[in-house]
Amino acid sequence: MSFLPLAHALAARQDLPVPAWLFAWGASIVLIVSFFALSVTWRAPRFEEGHWRPLGAGLSRALLGLPAQILCAAIGVFLLGLAIYAGLRGTEAPDRNFALTFLFVTAWLGFPLFSAVLGDVFRPFNPWRAVSRVAGAGFAALAGQPPAHLRYPERLGRWPAAIGLIAVVWLEVVYGASGGVAVGLSPHTAAIAAILYSAYTLTMMALFGTEQWCRTGEVFSVYFGMFGRLGWFGSRDGRLGIRRPFSAATRWATVPGSAAVVIASIATTSFDGAQEGAFKGALESVYNRFVDWGLGPTAAIRLDDTIFIALTFAGVAAVYLIGVRGMSSVPGAPPLRKLREGFAHTLIPIALAYLVAHYFSLFVFQEQAQFTYLLSDPLGTGTTDLFGTASSGIDFQLLSANAIWYVQVGALVVGHVVGLTLAHDRATAFWGDYRQAARSQYWMLAVMVAFTCFGLYLLSVANG
Amino acid sequence: MNHARKLSVLSVLSVLLFALAAIGGLAACGSSDSETTTGAGAETSGAASGGQATTEGPGAGERGKAGATTIVVKNGEPVGGVQDLEYSAGDQVRFTVDSDVADEVHVHGYDLMKDVPAGGSVSFSFPAEIEGIFEVELEGRKEEIAELRVNP
Repeated sequence: MSFLPLAHALAARQDLPVPAWLFAWGASIVLIVSFFALSVTWRAPRFEEGHWRPLGAGLSRALLGLPAQILCAAIGVFLLGLAIYAGLRGTEAPDRNFALTFLFVTAWLGFPLFSAVLGDVFRPFNPWRAVSRVAGAGFAALAGQPPAHLRYPERLGRWPAAIGLIAVVWLEVVYGASGGVAVGLSPHTAAIAAILYSAYTLTMMALFGTEQWCRTGEVFSVYFGMFGRLGWFGSRDGRLGIRRPFSAATRWATVPGSAAVVIASIATTSFDGAQEGAFKGALESVYNRFVDWGLGPTAAIRLDDTIFIALTFAGVAAVYLIGVRGMSSVPGAPPLRKLREGFAHTLIPIALAYLVAHYFSLFVFQEQAQFTYLLSDPLGTGTTDLFGTASSGIDFQLLSANAIWYVQVGALVVGHVVGLTLAHDRATAFWGDYRQAARSQYWMLAVMVAFTCFGLYLLSVANG
Repeated sequence: MNHARKLSVLSVLSVLLFALAAIGGLAACGSSDSETTTGAGAETSGAASGGQATTEGPGAGERGKAGATTIVVKNGEPVGGVQDLEYSAGDQVRFTVDSDVADEVHVHGYDLMKDVPAGGSVSFSFPAEIEGIFEVELEGRKEEIAELRVNP
């Protein structure tokens, strides 16, 4: 029996666990930083205002104008189409087929990483938004009026995206796992899933409107857009501008269900990182129990994983909600609901740090495949060599184990600092009295220390 | 007011101290673990695998660089479960696969492949130059038979 993390089906290499001495250093730095955070003195919010400055009009037009929109949309639609085609017609070897690496590494990990620096870069490439906009424009031209949409239920908020996010990870790490044989998600299944998701998304966009669905329901828009809120660039009224990093995140969680999205992100990454490490023993014993009860190996492994993903989500949510509950006990606190939404964005840097810590090496190694043999021979059938790179391989010596460890621990420490910064800033906005604001932050500090140390712990027992 | 503030500072201090102690504890566990594994990894490749039939001859604790591990495959599965091969970067990785089924043995990452006939054996010897964890697999059956760890 094998439990397969995301990396396993694609990459031939897994990370070594972070050694104890580095774990201790990382955790110590986190605590020292946290002590320091207790004495931070800024008393008025610094990130609540956008601090947005427009960039040159020419640059704005070049990057956001109609020709650029059409070009980006065409690239997005083409790449999704290529991934689906490769999945349906290409080899069933997951590592040789364009579909899996493109969907689950290049796009799924690449957009969060780039968005966190550059802003929401997925939006112009979003293939479903592109198709839906063209369809909408076609409808308007034929009918003489823009399509009418249903009113989106406000209370639903981003919950569809949160559930969708868990479903995407579930598809990759749970559905792809099977009893006994070490195969991951097959390219064919990934292609079918992409087709079904496209049909679902276009339907929802037709029902509720393209932009509304992108804002609240479309998994990838919401998920990548969340990380985009950390980035430097953003547009306002069609004008590209530069903003204070992280400042756009402060207005992200105003939609209900946003906390669920960021918690789902932390939970699913944790689960994937823990299944061959921290959770391995527990997963195996529950699996064995299920098999004893007469479940087949594949059903047992899927049920087992599903239960653990749900438990991880509940655990991450519980830590956050305890912190919120604690803050609400500080005099002058806003209502619980406002607190719950008000601090959700402070977890985005933690979610990003988890992502970097768990998938950084996979991304670096697998992108070598993406840009060499998977580009030249997307179907993996050995019949094409478009760019003459079909026979290249991955250079696994590109990153030493030490380099990977430093990036992993460094990401967690930086994420911790940014999370604390955003939380402190929000507290100064919520509590008029500076002392109460500082007191409320003992709670968020505990939440952040818990997540960061849990992250370090997962790394130190990874692939044990 | 002042009193309340002192109290809350105290409570935070105690929480952090507790966290420090917990981390210290974890790190201690971790380091004892890593000592045993790296210690074993430096000298032996087979000792950690624990399989009865996997190491040949006496002095299993002193093999590794000089000696070789044998992975025995029966009915297409590794005897004693997936075997651990642990090395430090720069060591010479040596192991033999004894198989009762014909298949191709694939060392992932290093991308080495050798055919093994039914009832025969095949030996590998190569320098451990890529750090990380790699699967050794019967390619046809997609059966993992060993896990190769190369520590820095």
